[in-house]
Amino acid sequence: MTRINLDTTVVETREQRLGTIIAWDGKASELSHESAYARGGCESSCGQKGRRLCELHGPFTQGSVCSEQMVECQAGNVRDAVLIQHSPIGCGAGQVIYNSIYRNGLAMRNLPVENLRMICTNLQEGDMVFGGVAKLEQSIRDAWERHRPKAIFIGTSCATGIIGDDVDSVASHLEEELQIPVIPLHCEGFKSKHWSTGFDATQHGILRQIVRKNPQKQEDLINVINLWGTDVFTPMLGELGLRVNFVVDLATVADLEQMSEAAATVGFCHTLSSYLATALEQEFGVPEIKAPLPYGFAGTDAWLRELARVTHREEQAEAYIAKEHARVAPRLEELRKQLKGKKGYVATGSAYAHGLIAVLRELGIEVNGSLVFHHDPIYDSQDPRQDSLAYLVDNYGDVPSFSVSNRQQYQFYGLLQRVKPDFILIRHNGLAPLASRLGIPAAPLGDEHHALGYQGMINLGETILDILSHKKFHQDLAAHVTLPYKKEWLAQQDPFILARKPLNVEE
Amino acid sequence: MSVKETTIAIQGTEEQGVPLPFKPHKTNSIQQIRYVCSIAAMHSASAIPRVIPITHCGPGCADKQFMNVAFYNGFQGGGYGGGSVVPSTNASEREVVFGGADRLRELIAASLQILDADLFVVLTGCISDLVGDDVGSVVKEFQVQGVPIVFAETGGFKGNNFTGHELVTRAIIDQYVGDYDGPREQGSVNVWSLLPYHNTFWRGDLTEIKRILEGIGLKVNILFGPESRGASEWKNIPKAQFNLVLSPWLGLQTAKHLEAKYRQPFLHVPVIPIGAKETSAFLRQVAQFAGIDVAAAEAFIAKEEGTYYRYLEDFTDFYAEYWWGLPARFAVIGDSAYNLALTKFLVNQLGLIPSKQIITENPPEEYRELIREQYRTIADDVATDVDFQEDSHIIHQLIRQSDFGHKPPIIFGTTWERDLVKELKGAIVEVGFPTSYEVVLARSYIGYRGALTLLEKIYTTAVSASA
Repeated sequence: MTRINLDTTVVETREQRLGTIIAWDGKASELSHESAYARGGCESSCGQKGRRLCELHGPFTQGSVCSEQMVECQAGNVRDAVLIQHSPIGCGAGQVIYNSIYRNGLAMRNLPVENLRMICTNLQEGDMVFGGVAKLEQSIRDAWERHRPKAIFIGTSCATGIIGDDVDSVASHLEEELQIPVIPLHCEGFKSKHWSTGFDATQHGILRQIVRKNPQKQEDLINVINLWGTDVFTPMLGELGLRVNFVVDLATVADLEQMSEAAATVGFCHTLSSYLATALEQEFGVPEIKAPLPYGFAGTDAWLRELARVTHREEQAEAYIAKEHARVAPRLEELRKQLKGKKGYVATGSAYAHGLIAVLRELGIEVNGSLVFHHDPIYDSQDPRQDSLAYLVDNYGDVPSFSVSNRQQYQFYGLLQRVKPDFILIRHNGLAPLASRLGIPAAPLGDEHHALGYQGMINLGETILDILSHKKFHQDLAAHVTLPYKKEWLAQQDPFILARKPLNVEE
Repeated sequence: MSVKETTIAIQGTEEQGVPLPFKPHKTNSIQQIRYVCSIAAMHSASAIPRVIPITHCGPGCADKQFMNVAFYNGFQGGGYGGGSVVPSTNASEREVVFGGADRLRELIAASLQILDADLFVVLTGCISDLVGDDVGSVVKEFQVQGVPIVFAETGGFKGNNFTGHELVTRAIIDQYVGDYDGPREQGSVNVWSLLPYHNTFWRGDLTEIKRILEGIGLKVNILFGPESRGASEWKNIPKAQFNLVLSPWLGLQTAKHLEAKYRQPFLHVPVIPIGAKETSAFLRQVAQFAGIDVAAAEAFIAKEEGTYYRYLEDFTDFYAEYWWGLPARFAVIGDSAYNLALTKFLVNQLGLIPSKQIITENPPEEYRELIREQYRTIADDVATDVDFQEDSHIIHQLIRQSDFGHKPPIIFGTTWERDLVKELKGAIVEVGFPTSYEVVLARSYIGYRGALTLLEKIYTTAVSASA
């Protein structure tokens, strides 16, 4: 069993730990089989790294996302901390998006709306020659003077990684002086092919320097690893007599400290929660709920039962499950009628997509295609009960066109042609604008909890009805725009042809 | 940078309660950014119809610049060749260790097969500029085959998106437009003005600039935005009679380069005109410089002023009689182009009192005195000073310590000022990067028509918040 290594300041990348891939094309069942999570007797044969999967490499790539952006979206959204971006000013651009998301997230949770606290060290050409550590030290002091934060995070950049600034030394020196955690997060964009390493980098730093090392157990506290979504967990876990500790976004440093005291850890997406949840179990004995994700009846039932088992609340859970099944059944029946014959396509982060496809199928919607931005052949726990892809295939059937494509819009065109959906589900930017130009509406799930649990099935059904009516807009647009792709490319049947037969488009 | 102690000097009155001069402690830190790095000038490429940038940088750079400059800033969108269309080498450890020239060559070749563009613009990021990839040689291999492609080295540590814009502009002129020794077309002008996408309202504003210049009889190469004719228009740059730099400083470098390269004269007008008074004066200045038919220009001006003042006459019933109070003092926080334009309009057309003007895009030192002078002579009877600051922590301290008189101010700023304005119980009009709580399509705040829209926006904001 591979252990998460918290001894060094640098997190091991996803591809190193889990064998993550960012390009693949086939059936969901094949990917699941090749990942050979539980089926291949993984526990005995996984060895040091996760499974190795055959990955496609093509010459053409469109702008992706980097790990530093994910550090911004986590460490930059802790309410009483400051994130220093040790970088040229361009990396600081992310302050804009994560401020807007932070503000709207705070509003959704009924917390006071405010600007986020991120400071860029604004490195210049001379700093590339002489190093930027003095500026880093100055910015840490500025952060302290301005906000008296409970913790200061430092995100590195491609530039500081290349010039080799000794960020760790500055951090430990200032931590001693200021008597608050000063946490280096190594997240150079070029170091990992997939941005989710940035989640891990943030969580790694929090585990090392914030989480309380001598926990006083709180038997009714549940860590919920999420983003900015509405609080659907408090009412749900309240039924079981459990309290919610939301981390990392919108949390306070105190919320992060007490993670080690919780009775269990859950999440809405293994992609986000894998590292933190597994490490909390490994280091502090906080059990990670080893169950399918809480989407659809099957997933939510199993998830609640496992949470109840771990926290000894089986009776309340069964009562809640029965009550909720009965409550949602009538509206769900209506929605199934209204959505009959509709085809959906899911294009989101990896484990999240597995859950959303389940919800669509609960709603009776046909899902013949899906795109995920990456695939982890295994999660950090290496526990087969978390094999969300296998769970999907076993309980809800195969997905014939299942592609791993790291936000590559040029491939998305062909993928949509394969299945011609009535709508798509998305979370990240970049793909819906293309779908829109093809006349296909998208439901952007900004609130990541929208489709979660029993109510989530109804929420998603209602949202799909809303966006299907947007079709008028998109179809009108489609008749009046030209795509920036060449006709030869749009006629190409296989969106992965360049990886299979490099530079052979004309054939 | 020296930080000036600022006071408001209004001739003929003794101001009471002038705030104590605040001495900000400026460091390298920038909190709540107001400009980004050079590679964001990929937007200057995608702002030209059917031109597509190719980025040679880390995996997050292109997305990051797009989402922040063009999405959470008026939700402008990526258009034909921007946003998620933009090819990127998504440089990895391999490109850092072994160099990225081969990867760039591969990406360009594939881009030519997949994307349909009239011109490609290669932009580099920190990684390429630090490891020293010979991008010029790679691009040259394609140029010699006749591929319409240029490159600019826009590493993030080398400057901001304003200087990056001039690098991209120059790259297109030198590597694509090329030499020209033919005749000039009298009455034809190239316009260099607002920074595309960074200025939230650039599309509507460039459209208005083109409309009014054409109105007085000029043929206009607007070069960026929906009214541009794309790469072919850029090919016509050397044929124009002159260049018009309509901004405090951005575009001057380009104009000077064109003067040297094509012996093309330029007219520099620092104040982007808002409202009839300023716009008419601007048009007369341009008409005189161009030597075009004055009578035709005057006819257009008269027609535009007629419409403008009809609306202003209707507006005056509100402006003169509205019961519940309207803001009297204002502050502007933003890049010099809009800051100066707005201040001029608010002081001269509406008679508002300038309390604080802060310029945020870090203009090159050599242009700062010129900008200061504009504020000193903002009206016949009003002089004001201006601060140059980039760090919002300092900017907000300066605003807090400004004298807004007896009632709450109106702040022309960005999303960063939303909380500050609540604190001051004032009103906010988001007019610059980042404007994350406005949806902007064709809206313009300049010229004749934009001024009316601006009046609607200012007073809707004031009235809407009243009850």
